[in-house]
Amino acid sequence: MIRILAACGAGINSSHQIKTAIEEEMKKRGFDVKVDTIVIKDITEDTLKNYDIFTPISKPKFSFSIEIPVIEAGPILYRIPAMADPVFDELEQVIRNLKK
Amino acid sequence: MDAIIKFANLVFEPIINLGAAPMMFIVLALLAMLMRVPVGKAIEGGLKLAIALTGMGVIIEILTGNFAPALQDFVKSTGIELSITDVGWAPLATITWGSAYTLYFLLIVIVINIIMLILNKTNTLDVDIFNVWHLAIIGLIVMYYSHNLLLATLLVAFLGVLKFINADIMKPTFNDLLNMPDTNPTTTTHLNFMLNPLIMVFDKVFDKVFPFIDKYDFDAATLNEKIGFWGSKFAIGVYLGAFVGILSQQSIQTIFTLAFIGGVTLELFSVVGTWFIAAVEPLSQGITNFMSKRLKGRKFNIGIDWPFLAARPEMWAAANVLAPIMLLIALIIPGNRILPLGGIIAIGLTPALLVVTRGRILRMIIIGTIMLPVFLLSGTAIAPFVTETAKSVGAFPSGVASNVMITHSTLEGPIEKFLAILVGELGANFNIQNLAVTLLALAAYLALFIWYLKQMKKRNQKYEEEKTA
Repeated sequence: MIRILAACGAGINSSHQIKTAIEEEMKKRGFDVKVDTIVIKDITEDTLKNYDIFTPISKPKFSFSIEIPVIEAGPILYRIPAMADPVFDELEQVIRNLKK
Repeated sequence: MDAIIKFANLVFEPIINLGAAPMMFIVLALLAMLMRVPVGKAIEGGLKLAIALTGMGVIIEILTGNFAPALQDFVKSTGIELSITDVGWAPLATITWGSAYTLYFLLIVIVINIIMLILNKTNTLDVDIFNVWHLAIIGLIVMYYSHNLLLATLLVAFLGVLKFINADIMKPTFNDLLNMPDTNPTTTTHLNFMLNPLIMVFDKVFDKVFPFIDKYDFDAATLNEKIGFWGSKFAIGVYLGAFVGILSQQSIQTIFTLAFIGGVTLELFSVVGTWFIAAVEPLSQGITNFMSKRLKGRKFNIGIDWPFLAARPEMWAAANVLAPIMLLIALIIPGNRILPLGGIIAIGLTPALLVVTRGRILRMIIIGTIMLPVFLLSGTAIAPFVTETAKSVGAFPSGVASNVMITHSTLEGPIEKFLAILVGELGANFNIQNLAVTLLALAAYLALFIWYLKQMKKRNQKYEEEKTA
């Protein structure tokens, strides 16, 4: 199973939209993924160690460097399928490269 | 005509009489089916709103049941009149979505958006349907004072138009702050950015009088890392609970209880908050499908919720630093009756500070400190309305004493709440004096906004020049 972390401002609205969309679309594409949500402020270096992929809305700046693949998931929030597809394609590519 | 009204009453009255949670369950499920959402999904969404309303009520009961007596003792032992419980934004959003009027205000905002897009008065298509609650709550405040739907609609429409203009004018700043290419359509119509004009007044003072202060800006990401878990929801709940317990001279046992109740309720508000996001989801998708189909060929930016800005560490550093400052201000500012708890991380304020100052952290903190009293006084002013509305949608425990009130200490749009109260009072008591005061306030608000637009145009022109240079 691929573990993904989505993050937004309160861990309630945007990150849950991203979670639902990714879980639905990746299931369709035949991947077993689990997406957790978090307030971006609460992410530490340790938090990210528990995940394979990080999907924030836009790339954040931390005091540490991010060691796992980062995919900007903002376009999912536009709710227009054609605009979200590149995000899913990139995600699929990264998942394939993980070879899990 | 009489027959139609009679028929409508016959159909709708029993549904309305069921109470808010059952009614919104039925309304949202039906609306979702109208949007061609599969029946199962539609019912799932409707149920989630109903259980979210009910769940918020349960958590508010736990929180006020434990905190209200301690807050009364707090007033007695300190002499500081802070008796309103701050539940943060999630319960207020749920309560607002528990009112059928929110769907009406949503319709108004969608119509405004379509008209403005067609007339080329905005370039923003708003798909952030959920956040219409911020305008809806303003409309509900007007109705709370006056029962005047026309005045409520006019104020919501007025603010709605300005929000779209604001979304357009901020776009180049978003590109700058997040290194987004011009092709990226992300923008936001969020109400919190309607505080930009006032923040900009103070930012200009810094430009003219204290520009040297920017030299002392520190690295926000490092500060955030140092604060670590101390800034997380449960930790805040724990030490604010303890703070209340100690100052109200409770027993050691009660102090611990208050601390852990504070922690658990703040966590639970978020959990329940996620439920009703799912309830609004089919509606959001349906409206977006409808609008984007009809706007084919038109290029536009897309308005989403503000947290794409959450990538910038400055807004969190400012929120972390402002939290203890807010507690202090709450204790000393005359007129405030809120003890900060659920809203103490001021995400209703720091995104606007980020946009206006473009991440100058010291300016954000200092101007933020100046803004906090506005939020506290606004939150105090709307507490009777929030409490009453929570009761009417069944999200407030019935057994609690009638003087117990809830509110949100850092609710977006503090100035707009005062405007809503003025407009509401005008509707309730239409006389020359109220009319003059309200019109004057609205004129001042609009004048400040127009001045701000001018400043932002200058800023955007500079961005253009930098690009071509």
